[in-house]
Amino acid sequence: MMPIWKNPEFVRHFRAELRSKRALTIAAVAVVIAVLIWLGCWGSRASEMALMHNQAAHLGFTAERLAEMDRQTLIVVWFNFYRILMYAQLGVLTFWSLFSCAQSISGERERKTWDFQRATRLSAAELLTGKLFGEPVLAYFIVVCCSPIALLAGLLGKARLGTIAEAYLLIISGAVFLGMAGLWLSTLFESRSRGVGLIGTFGLYLIFGFVVQARESNFPGVAALSPLAGFIPLFDEYAYFGLPRIFGSPVPWVVLSLLLYLMFGAWLALTLLRTLTKDYDQMRSLSRWQAVGCAAFLNFTLYALFVPRTLTTWDSFTKLMVGINGFILFAMGLAMLTSSEKLRVWWRTRKATRWALFAEDGPQWPWLVLSAAVGYGLLVWGLFAWKNELGFESAALKAGLVEFAVVVVFVTRDITFIQWCRMTRMRAPVLKGVLFAGLYYVAAVVLTIVCGVYSYTLGRYFSSLLTPVGAFEPGPPNLHFPAAVFVGMGIQLGLIVLLEIAIMGRLRPAIGGAVPR
Amino acid sequence: MIELTNLRKEFDDLVAVESLTLSIPSGEIYGLIGPNGAGKTTTIRMICGLLDATQGKIQVAGVDVLGEPERARQYIGYLSDFFSVYEDLKVWEYLDYFAHAYKMPGSEIPARVSEVIAQAGLEVKRDGMIRGLSRGMKQRLGIARAMIHRPKVLVLDEPASGLDPKARIELRTLLRSARDEGATILISSHILTELEGFCTSIGVMEKGRLVRSGRLDEVMLAVTPARTVRLQWLGEGRAQIQAGLGQLAAVSELKLSENEGEFFFSGSDDELSRTLAVLITSGVRVLSFREVKQTVEEMYMKLSSHEVM
Repeated sequence: MMPIWKNPEFVRHFRAELRSKRALTIAAVAVVIAVLIWLGCWGSRASEMALMHNQAAHLGFTAERLAEMDRQTLIVVWFNFYRILMYAQLGVLTFWSLFSCAQSISGERERKTWDFQRATRLSAAELLTGKLFGEPVLAYFIVVCCSPIALLAGLLGKARLGTIAEAYLLIISGAVFLGMAGLWLSTLFESRSRGVGLIGTFGLYLIFGFVVQARESNFPGVAALSPLAGFIPLFDEYAYFGLPRIFGSPVPWVVLSLLLYLMFGAWLALTLLRTLTKDYDQMRSLSRWQAVGCAAFLNFTLYALFVPRTLTTWDSFTKLMVGINGFILFAMGLAMLTSSEKLRVWWRTRKATRWALFAEDGPQWPWLVLSAAVGYGLLVWGLFAWKNELGFESAALKAGLVEFAVVVVFVTRDITFIQWCRMTRMRAPVLKGVLFAGLYYVAAVVLTIVCGVYSYTLGRYFSSLLTPVGAFEPGPPNLHFPAAVFVGMGIQLGLIVLLEIAIMGRLRPAIGGAVPR
Repeated sequence: MIELTNLRKEFDDLVAVESLTLSIPSGEIYGLIGPNGAGKTTTIRMICGLLDATQGKIQVAGVDVLGEPERARQYIGYLSDFFSVYEDLKVWEYLDYFAHAYKMPGSEIPARVSEVIAQAGLEVKRDGMIRGLSRGMKQRLGIARAMIHRPKVLVLDEPASGLDPKARIELRTLLRSARDEGATILISSHILTELEGFCTSIGVMEKGRLVRSGRLDEVMLAVTPARTVRLQWLGEGRAQIQAGLGQLAAVSELKLSENEGEFFFSGSDDELSRTLAVLITSGVRVLSFREVKQTVEEMYMKLSSHEVM
């Protein structure tokens, strides 16, 4: 692969965004803002110092003591200035990366320039790196302009060189990771909508900001997904940030952040490399095996980052992990959706294909079951791994199995429904399918509440029948699952069969005719 | 140069392209005509590797497009029907970008950029921003972009749509220079006059199927086996013409008015020349005697059932 400074896509952005006049203006503005910040930092301490000098005689300060205090104050001023500059660079670069990358592919699609890029010899990897660093090139330039000032300020503020390097490592890695997340987001949209883009970007940015709060949870390491987790302790030694743990062993925040960015970034890169040069209708984020692998990776990561705090029993741990797996399976199911065209080809050739049910373009349910089986296997392993902290009983295996079975049935029904939506000619079928599925659960909850008003038992019965909630209710020592859970599972299995029949009905031979442009 | 074998593309429950088998030899200018929605753009996008075929095989310059899309792309220059250019770049920067994106040797790029800028007639705009170009200029820049890496195959989808007559003439000149460089050109259009006198071969698509394909004169001949001949004369000559032409087996559908007439002729050029000699020797004062060439539009109207137009 070509070096980034020779990457045509990066060079294009560099030329377009950083023409000499604009670059000079940006550099000048960056310096002016830095000077203003320094003045602000100085001003906040100047009055304090002036007061100290005026009262020196009264307080009995010697000239040497005053000079020392002046020197210390100046160090504090420089450190505060350095801290603000670093936070500003973090904010500018991460937000700009996310925002510009989140509109990149969709914007090219909208401008009708994307096909020309796809028609060139640039590989998906070259396009990815070119866009990743090219789209936010202006923000990188701002950081380049600010970095000498920040370095000087840091050194004058007595910050360690290693700390400054760590901070820049977090800024750059966080920006690259968020840029990749933005690019992935932009591949999902057929055209750019500045409003949706802005809301999506802000939403994602806030999530990355607030995920730092996870440091107080049972998965404190998840907080390292936010660059703030590693950033805050670098500038505030009094901030309470106990070290996160991997399988119980403490690791520094910066190291964990980099590790998570590397691992999650690799999955994002894999998805982008698969889809970047594909036509919009032919995109599929992950292959079936990759989806199973991703589900296993997410489970493994969560078990590795687990620290028993509020979860102190195997029962609560099992319930939480199965619940999380419900969302993981749903996300993997979405990544496995097949285009109508590919499903038709699979249908025509299925009899001549070995293991047709597990084919890449076949139905999702065998792979969802496989992913759930892997998830269950990892749950068993997790229960053993944490048995000293959570205790372990054989009932945990049964409870986990039933809960997993119920969850996978409901998720399969939802994914099969969304696949059916994709077979119809509705616009944005996946989005609508997800919304309809959400609507179903809202309706089920309302029905449960209404029934619960009349009779608590009836409410529970309906909730077990229509949602997977019933499977999570029984706890030890009497691990007895109500019949409604299994009846509900049966109903959902029936619905899955009906949906599969409906999908098959739409797999009739295609007809010739005009092509929607 | 372009080989399509049993190509098929489905969208949902529609078959956009069906059983398309086509061979375009090197050096041809192949016009793909058909109404909107006939499957021209889909075919072109599949040839360029932008869209996966549901079934079939595509080869460009001997390279399997579906199997080795990145390698095939070096041989293909592509221009889509609706497109825009990067307005925030200069003309030379735009072409330089694509030259690098097609991985041309770095040492060749500056000269090649200047060359295509000259071919596109954009020398005075070389250092100008693209946002300042007229639509025709942008279209020429688009074609210059498609030609920048000296592709063996130039694939143009409705290149003249939305252009004024002057810009169309400029476009033709530019395409002729591409042909002179040795490129095989596949050009799709539903504006049939655009292809008149320009294409060497033609294919007609209807409802995803290629209903006719071949060299232009062969297709014309296949659609209308007899040639139309129009003549004009001075003075009285109608009776001699009736008598002279009526006895020839190659002549049919003879229609004569006061001083002009028309007939179908199914013989060779030599026989047609002798027919003229017969008229002159019989005393007809022939003012003009010429074959009326069928236009692509007329040929298409005969072929097309217009169900999707």
